[in-house]
Amino acid sequence: MSASQSAVRSRAEAVQVSRTLDWMILFTVFTVILGGYHIHYMLTGGDWDFWTDWKDRRLWVTVAPIVSITFPAAVQACLWFRYRLPFGAVVCVLALMIGEWINRYLNFWGWTYFPVNFCFPSNLIPGAIILDVVLMLSSSFVLTAVVGGMAWGLIFYPGNWPIIAPLHVPVEYNGMMFTLADLQGYHYVRTGTPEYIRMVEKGTLRSFGKDVAPVSAFFSAFVCIIIYFLWHFFGRWFSKTDFIDGEGL
Amino acid sequence: MAATTDSVKADASEAPLLNKVNLFSGLMLYLVFYSFIRWYEGVYGWSAGLDSFAPEFETYWMNMLYIELVAEVFIACGLWGYIWKTRDRNVMSITPREELRRHFTHWTWLVMYGWAVYWGASYFTEQDGTWHQTIVRDTDFTPSHIIEFYLAYPIYIITGVSSFLYAKTRLPAYSEGLSIMYMVSVLGPFMILPNVGLNEWGHTFWFMEELFVAPLHYGFVFFGWATLAVLGVVNTEVDALTKLLKKDLA
Repeated sequence: MSASQSAVRSRAEAVQVSRTLDWMILFTVFTVILGGYHIHYMLTGGDWDFWTDWKDRRLWVTVAPIVSITFPAAVQACLWFRYRLPFGAVVCVLALMIGEWINRYLNFWGWTYFPVNFCFPSNLIPGAIILDVVLMLSSSFVLTAVVGGMAWGLIFYPGNWPIIAPLHVPVEYNGMMFTLADLQGYHYVRTGTPEYIRMVEKGTLRSFGKDVAPVSAFFSAFVCIIIYFLWHFFGRWFSKTDFIDGEGL
Repeated sequence: MAATTDSVKADASEAPLLNKVNLFSGLMLYLVFYSFIRWYEGVYGWSAGLDSFAPEFETYWMNMLYIELVAEVFIACGLWGYIWKTRDRNVMSITPREELRRHFTHWTWLVMYGWAVYWGASYFTEQDGTWHQTIVRDTDFTPSHIIEFYLAYPIYIITGVSSFLYAKTRLPAYSEGLSIMYMVSVLGPFMILPNVGLNEWGHTFWFMEELFVAPLHYGFVFFGWATLAVLGVVNTEVDALTKLLKKDLA
């Protein structure tokens, strides 16, 4: 290979090649991250994300943000600090939510017949926008972890509130008072129903009444800060371009 | 004048940098194939997939498992063997334009890998969740597992290893040594398949249907993290492509 030779015939072709490769890279990153992020999220927070009756004021608010800030933090570590691309978190969340919506519609509804207003995914978009904006404005992963990570945890419940609120209104059924979401679960019994009964809204926190969701969100925000730091460094490690000698393998 | 005419003829007959037919055919191949698979499980999951002791389960599901396992072994051996057998033994002597063309072919492989990972890790894995929330299993080989573990996962493994082998055997950037992150991005998701052994072994003790986030499933989570190594692959590729295009884009 001669260093004086050119791979392209003109500057215009070089630009076209560059743009085409951008799209191929974006598609690959989008789909691979979608696969990895989705399998991570469904198996660490999935039950709370699958069903409206699991979307309670305590564990859903606590678990979902903590396990979902992982991949955005890692991808930001590469896309911003190497390429100054300010959309690492949004790309991750967009990928995850597209994967989830396709699944909830074609499989949860299309194969096992759970209505979509019972199994729609949680909304993570507001937190992702904030995380990207904080990183873009500050260019600091420390500030993004503290401010953005905390915002990620705090904004989760308000970001989902317009969607979930109609299902949290109280109803009376057979002399019992519970939410409309609980009633949905009552009519759509799943293998996860016994675990739901054991776990959802148990403990003294319930006696806090209206403060359950804010307290849970605050705790979630605290853990999100720590998880962001951890996954930022995962992202840096995964961004390495090192080679090893193959003879030792 | 003669030289110019020859040059134009050579350009016209030269293979394009990106073979778009291959790219879109590959994407459509997986889309059409998986659409058929989704139709098949939609029909025969309910009609023949509920009782593993029923004769129709053997007909529609176990036979499908046997066929796909044999086909995957043959396709993997054939594809990987072909890529290795036709490797370029003088990879460092290719022209920059040929190198760029090969990078495009490599990216066609990577696009296919991403597409295959989506179907395996996202589409068919979460689908498995709703099936188990609906049907209590009486076998390891449920209809959703026969598709997810033994069809969709092997397909992305075959695609990913093919992509790695193509890069290793045809691109100067990968000819000396092994890219750590490329290996992680292919071997990590590959390890999800052996982890099925842990998963099914665990399910011989517990159904675990009550909680999809049960710790028994964390092996899948851990190896799913390896997909992030695609960032390292992108960075390696960007470095190589920058060397090829930098002076033309300046």
